[in-house]
Amino acid sequence: MKKLISMLAVLTLIFSVCAFANAEGTTYQVGILQFVQHPALDEATRGFREALTEKLGDSVVFTEENASGEVPNCATIASQLVAKQVNLIMANATPPLQACTNATGDIPVLGTSVTDYQAALEIELVNDATGINVSGTSDLAPLDRQAEMIRELFPEAKTVGLLYCSGEANSIFQIKKVEEYLTAKGIETKRYAFTDSNDLASVTQTATECDVIYIPTDNTAANNTEAIANIVIPAKVPVIAGEEGICKGCGIATLSISYYDIGWKTGEMAYEILVNGADISTMPIEYAPQVVKEYNAANAAELGVTIPEDYLPIGE
Amino acid sequence: MNITQLLNQLPGAAAQGLIWGIMAIGVYITFRILDTADLTVDGSFATGGAVAAILITSGVNPWLATIIAFLAGLMAGLITGVLHTGMGIPAILAGILTQLALYSVNLRIQGLGTDLGSRANVPLSINKYKNMLVSLRNVGNFSIENPIWLMLLITAVLIGIMYWFFGTEYGCGLRAVGSNQQMARAQGISTGRGKIVGLMLSNGLVAFSGALMAQYQGFSDVSMGRGAIVIGLAAVIIGEVIFGKLFRNFALKLLAVSLGAIIYYLVIQVVLWLGLNTDDLKLLTALVVALFLAMPYWRNHMAARRMKGGKPVG
Repeated sequence: MKKLISMLAVLTLIFSVCAFANAEGTTYQVGILQFVQHPALDEATRGFREALTEKLGDSVVFTEENASGEVPNCATIASQLVAKQVNLIMANATPPLQACTNATGDIPVLGTSVTDYQAALEIELVNDATGINVSGTSDLAPLDRQAEMIRELFPEAKTVGLLYCSGEANSIFQIKKVEEYLTAKGIETKRYAFTDSNDLASVTQTATECDVIYIPTDNTAANNTEAIANIVIPAKVPVIAGEEGICKGCGIATLSISYYDIGWKTGEMAYEILVNGADISTMPIEYAPQVVKEYNAANAAELGVTIPEDYLPIGE
Repeated sequence: MNITQLLNQLPGAAAQGLIWGIMAIGVYITFRILDTADLTVDGSFATGGAVAAILITSGVNPWLATIIAFLAGLMAGLITGVLHTGMGIPAILAGILTQLALYSVNLRIQGLGTDLGSRANVPLSINKYKNMLVSLRNVGNFSIENPIWLMLLITAVLIGIMYWFFGTEYGCGLRAVGSNQQMARAQGISTGRGKIVGLMLSNGLVAFSGALMAQYQGFSDVSMGRGAIVIGLAAVIIGEVIFGKLFRNFALKLLAVSLGAIIYYLVIQVVLWLGLNTDDLKLLTALVVALFLAMPYWRNHMAARRMKGGKPVG
């Protein structure tokens, strides 16, 4: 027993010495908390990592964690990152952003893939900045232009079905806005909300009664594009998607932002904070640098939709 | 892999474990005392969070909000109880039906006051509501605000109340209902009403825990209860496996449940600390819980083999 205790003591000493040794050259510890595994969020994380690695090379060490879609895990991992005393946390999606903001008032938290920071944090933005240790990038694509796209591609459409997951605050926000724009154009809209991937198929089936379906940047839909495609394509109902990943799976066209780009932008913001000492509480929330009109060639051909010249095909 | 880092992360695991421990005590009441599998907890956990969130954002005192969340949980348990005893639906199905219904109810609760009428997520930032009972923010400090102290106090008070209640005549009647329904009925105990009360109490505790969790993590989300029954059952079983031989007293058995929840969260923390791919987190958690569950079976098997002189029984 005594031997065991002394061995443990020695090991602890060795480990703590190693920890001190690491702190010699300025290595930045950056924690990443991603909500769930799917292409858009993965791209954002990839952009973030590559931006920082390009600027800092070996002096940045990432701790990348994924909550696997479970809300309680966000709190667990957030407190773990704070206990680790990382220099900066990148929160990918809304629940991680909320958990990290509550876990720490000092460590800078950069969010990404979050549509509405005001709603997520219940905070009034001043000059687009939060005033607390939070900033980041938003994946909000211009919703009015998306509504216009529906009009442009399907001028005869009378009803648009709004398909989304009722458990995602981001989706509800976008649905409300798109609904307003479409109603202003005189198009009738109807909401189709599913609770999770289990009833997604049956709700989508009901939604095919409309002329066109619109899907916002919804995490659950993005994870299940195959299932949606299997319903809408045979039913010959075109889908306008809020982002490229969903469009690639089941959509016709999208006004796409690149998640890689906003991830990259977040990485640049991280560099400003870590190296140049920028004050995160005054950094404005950044939006996607560019939006591109894109279409899915295969689905468009199958449904017989003619796509105007200024759209780019999504590379298969 | 720094051991001091693991030690730093332990308070977080302990705090979360204590909060889920209260939920696990609720699960213990239905699972062990009433001998029913109650799946309502996935829904009532989120209901507790939703009710507390809505009240706190409207300016209600967090203590009062948490207690009202408990009352909401009582309602949820009542519904399951009525479905089971009044409509003859098997307990498991009754729980599932209530859980299903609660999803929509929770969306509506969180949507009160908004123009859309339903909301998936309600933020409860510690920056804004400084008098919340527990918060993720303070788990690293040694101060009085550290959620661990309050959680230890709440757990102790709760176990005390449960110990008193199940020692009363009515409480013993409930234990009889779970132990041997026919005998209880023969003794004149109303088993239907007993089951309803048990379900109400259990879901009340679960909602109470949900309210604390929403304040702890800083937001209430309609899907925060998903998988709660698994954590609750795991905590109950882990507590029994480890402390079963030591703790015979009822109060200590409840304590074992709470400790089981803490151990469960410690396991998750170690898995995260080991730096393993978090994609595998669910698989590893399942493996660990399976190992815990298998231990009593293996123990009995080994004991039987030894008794029979090397020949395995069955």
